[in-house]
Amino acid sequence: MTAALTERPGPVPSNELLESLSGVGGRRRLKNVVMTTLMGLSAVVIAFVLVLVLATVITKGWSIVSGAFPEWFTKDIQLSPRRPGPGMKAAIIGTVVITAVATAIAVPLGIAGAVYLNEYGKRSLFARVLRFMTNVMAGVPSIVMGLFVYVFWVVPRGVDGLTGFSGSIALACLMLPIIVRSSEEMLKLVPQNLRDASFALGGTNSRTILTVVIPKAAPGIISGALLAIARAAGETAPLIFTIGAAKATNWNPFSGTNTSLSLQIYGNAKESFATAQERAWGSALTLIALAVLFTIGARILSARITSRNS
Amino acid sequence: MSLSVADLRTKKQFGDRLFRGVTLTGGATILVVLALIAYTITNKSTLIFRTEGLDFFTQKRWAPSGDTPVFGALSFIYGTAVTATIALLLAVPISVGLALFTTQIAPPWLKKVLVTLTDMVAVVPSVVFGLWGIIVLAPKMVGFYKNLHSWFGGWPILGRIFGPTSAGRTFLTAGLILAVMVTPIVTSIAREVIETTPQADRDGALALGATRWEMITGAVIPHSVGGIVGAIMLGLGRAMGETIAAALVIGSSANISANILTAGDSLPSVIAFQWGEATSAEKRSALIAMGLTLFVLTLVVNFIATAVVSRALRRMQGST
Amino acid sequence: MNRTRKRSVALVGLVAFSLLAAACGSDDDNADSTTTAAAADDSTTTAAAGGDATTTVAAGGDTTIATEAPASSEAAASSEATASSEATATEVDYSALSGSLVGSGATFPKGFYDEAIAEFAGIASDVTVEYGGGGSGKGRSDLQEQVVDFAGTDSPVKEADMAGYKGGEFVYVPTVVAPITISYNLPGVESLQLSPATIAKIFQTDITSWDDPAIAADNPDATLPSTDIVVAHRADGSGTTDNFSKFLNAAVGPDASGEWTLGTGSELEWPANTQAGDGNSGVAQIVSSTEGAIGYVDLSDAKANGLTFASVQNAAGNFIEPTLEATSAAVEGSTINDDLTFFAGWAEGDDVYPIAAQTWIIAYTTQDDAGKAEALRGFLTYLLTEGQTMAPDIDYAPLPDDLRQKALANVAKIGA
Repeated sequence: MTAALTERPGPVPSNELLESLSGVGGRRRLKNVVMTTLMGLSAVVIAFVLVLVLATVITKGWSIVSGAFPEWFTKDIQLSPRRPGPGMKAAIIGTVVITAVATAIAVPLGIAGAVYLNEYGKRSLFARVLRFMTNVMAGVPSIVMGLFVYVFWVVPRGVDGLTGFSGSIALACLMLPIIVRSSEEMLKLVPQNLRDASFALGGTNSRTILTVVIPKAAPGIISGALLAIARAAGETAPLIFTIGAAKATNWNPFSGTNTSLSLQIYGNAKESFATAQERAWGSALTLIALAVLFTIGARILSARITSRNS
Repeated sequence: MSLSVADLRTKKQFGDRLFRGVTLTGGATILVVLALIAYTITNKSTLIFRTEGLDFFTQKRWAPSGDTPVFGALSFIYGTAVTATIALLLAVPISVGLALFTTQIAPPWLKKVLVTLTDMVAVVPSVVFGLWGIIVLAPKMVGFYKNLHSWFGGWPILGRIFGPTSAGRTFLTAGLILAVMVTPIVTSIAREVIETTPQADRDGALALGATRWEMITGAVIPHSVGGIVGAIMLGLGRAMGETIAAALVIGSSANISANILTAGDSLPSVIAFQWGEATSAEKRSALIAMGLTLFVLTLVVNFIATAVVSRALRRMQGST
Repeated sequence: MNRTRKRSVALVGLVAFSLLAAACGSDDDNADSTTTAAAADDSTTTAAAGGDATTTVAAGGDTTIATEAPASSEAAASSEATASSEATATEVDYSALSGSLVGSGATFPKGFYDEAIAEFAGIASDVTVEYGGGGSGKGRSDLQEQVVDFAGTDSPVKEADMAGYKGGEFVYVPTVVAPITISYNLPGVESLQLSPATIAKIFQTDITSWDDPAIAADNPDATLPSTDIVVAHRADGSGTTDNFSKFLNAAVGPDASGEWTLGTGSELEWPANTQAGDGNSGVAQIVSSTEGAIGYVDLSDAKANGLTFASVQNAAGNFIEPTLEATSAAVEGSTINDDLTFFAGWAEGDDVYPIAAQTWIIAYTTQDDAGKAEALRGFLTYLLTEGQTMAPDIDYAPLPDDLRQKALANVAKIGA
């Protein structure tokens, strides 16, 4: 999400020269140095924490993932937490399938919503309300989404309600506002004269949007969506109530319970068995690798949009 | 028979209208879902409000099983407030410092590195921070917390905040983990706001002989303070609603105490842990009502934050 | 202006539509409860029919004991040999079963169920059984809402909740019993004796240090450090908490000597400055990672985590270690009701470990389809036959034989 924010280059004036010339007082200079150091320190702190967490995940996770290389990806999850024997296929497939279905729901709706806001609604009252509500929905805690889907979707269906699809609905609810927001930002960047040119050639509104505006904004929209997907793939709270606790691979999101990497981390983190905790670290590494893949994808696409636009 | 221009027009108009309808549906989904969330969780909370009334918010006691169950959410609201406050106290200086360093001081290459770094923190799933917190951080913090108590235990106010302790899963541990998760959000928005400071203002300050820090306090901060406040509030919304990471390290003990070195519990974590045991209609309703409380709290915070940030951004971009 | 108004109207319309949709959702709920009544009627008849089946299975069970192990050269361990003989006796062809069973609930027997499911998967390859844990209460509420096919619970269903069970009548199938240990982490103290009164004081944080006179009085020979006590309990509602508090209430509750004041229940109002973990394993994690910690953990989890546990004083005044024999003795010393509910804690007897806990699987007698009912019967039969022989390996005590037969009779009541 953060990468979607546009970066403006901030020129850094070299003021050391100025300082020495104008004879800045020692106390003022000291203060400057102290504060600069403190600001630099905050960067060091956050870098330190990130490195600490990632280093633990990578070292602990790598030993189990590489220690059982093919089985980690090809075998189902060990049925008993206290037994050794890695295998996370069910969770990997579950994460991919549930996130994919969520994407299939949220991305078209989100892009449609963004198109409405930027191309039709513009600054009308309804559009402004909608825009505001989008921001509001982006702030709804993920556990509330989980509760909502459980009460609204799972309970009326009974045993059959605990499916990957229920989880997908919850994730889609979380992704939708993010996608609307980032897509609208991207649509805004499409120059008005492109639309005018299309209208001048007799293009209708819909034709202009579908053949000119969206293709122009597509890479940005896709990179925004990928970031939303990466976030959704790591969500845990909405899945606790909605998808059950399968240990065997289930490709079908519409029937039968499922599982996900995030749930495996959550469940195994609370276990006291070394074998279970190893599985948690391995799942964490796998999940982060998936998220990084998506983020890299997003970066490549945003790089492409800039090169294409220039 | 060939189509007349008028036919083409209506046909076009129909397609246009259809397309417009489709996009409207996309947008309206958001309103529908929000309305549904509000409706379902309010509907399912009414039971507990009918039995407990407003005592639900003011009662400390949470005794859901037993012959005369009592449902008070106060200690969970307290825990949510305390952990979110700790998280912000830690995250705000770091985030603002990081945002200022990135935009005002760091050379371009370092800036790129720092932006990537912040994005990476945002991409790490919260459950991974929770895993790290529960297995690595919490057991290691026990000794540190004991030291904190022995250093500050005799001081007037700090002595109560850093009270006697023997545990690793506490308000403070949860606050620490939440701080890490809030930092990228606050940083990225603060960065965006700070970057709208007109170059002329900054150059002017420097030309008048200001040091870099004086330029920041004199030109950058006054210009972006509104936006930074909004960024902090968005961070607050996130800190209150974050479930998994906090649930794993907070210690899960209904507790209202100034001592942040003891275990507590928060709204989202009590929902996550006790939902399973919600056998009685009242308890289930009480937990949903906590979800509603959380929903309303985050709504209010995000309402204000969104309004503040968008106003600040609009004003600043206008002023350039 | 006009357009804006139109859109506002549309907005209001949408909200109204969503409210309507939600209202329909709650209508469904009502519809469900109506079907419940009908289902309840059906189940009565099935239960009556099930009574006949009981005798057959019980007879099958009797023959088991007489049957010799078949000449299966493949069976390496003797326990496996007995297991397969029982399979022939009860005449369940596990490989013919198919379907998927979903369960949730008690984490206390989860170690046993997990192992049993892992083994069951080997012989009934077409049945997938999934036990999600989550606590007894989750199991009961999931079964109430028919979100699962069976539920594990450590406490009987309350009379008041009976009406909420949407699937009608259900049966209790006791599966195993096991001791709840008082596990602690105190380097240098290898053995510890605790009386119920001391346990009550520790868990109420009336005692905060390990060298407290009350603990010393129980352990005249031990050297106790001055380490702070960290009380670890359950964060989730739990049958283990329920059984643990029922034990304390029976031993030193208000009706006895009065040290225990927190009452009973699957969650208690614990004092501040205690730590909670999710599940038995979560409590075990706190105990193993915190010096000075003490918590109540089932024997299986405690042993698997290498925790040290105390001997607890029983009703006869003896300090008894949590062993499977002492637990089985507790079951024999307790009264079993007609529906097979019972409480195994604080039982009479010289060698009884006083914090013994029982656990049941509950399932509706009327299942939606015959295949599922058959698979469920198969799995539960497995738990009560082959499963029993593997229980001690993971530190659960098998049921006494007469109770096991009664349990099999209850399994037979499950139909479609």
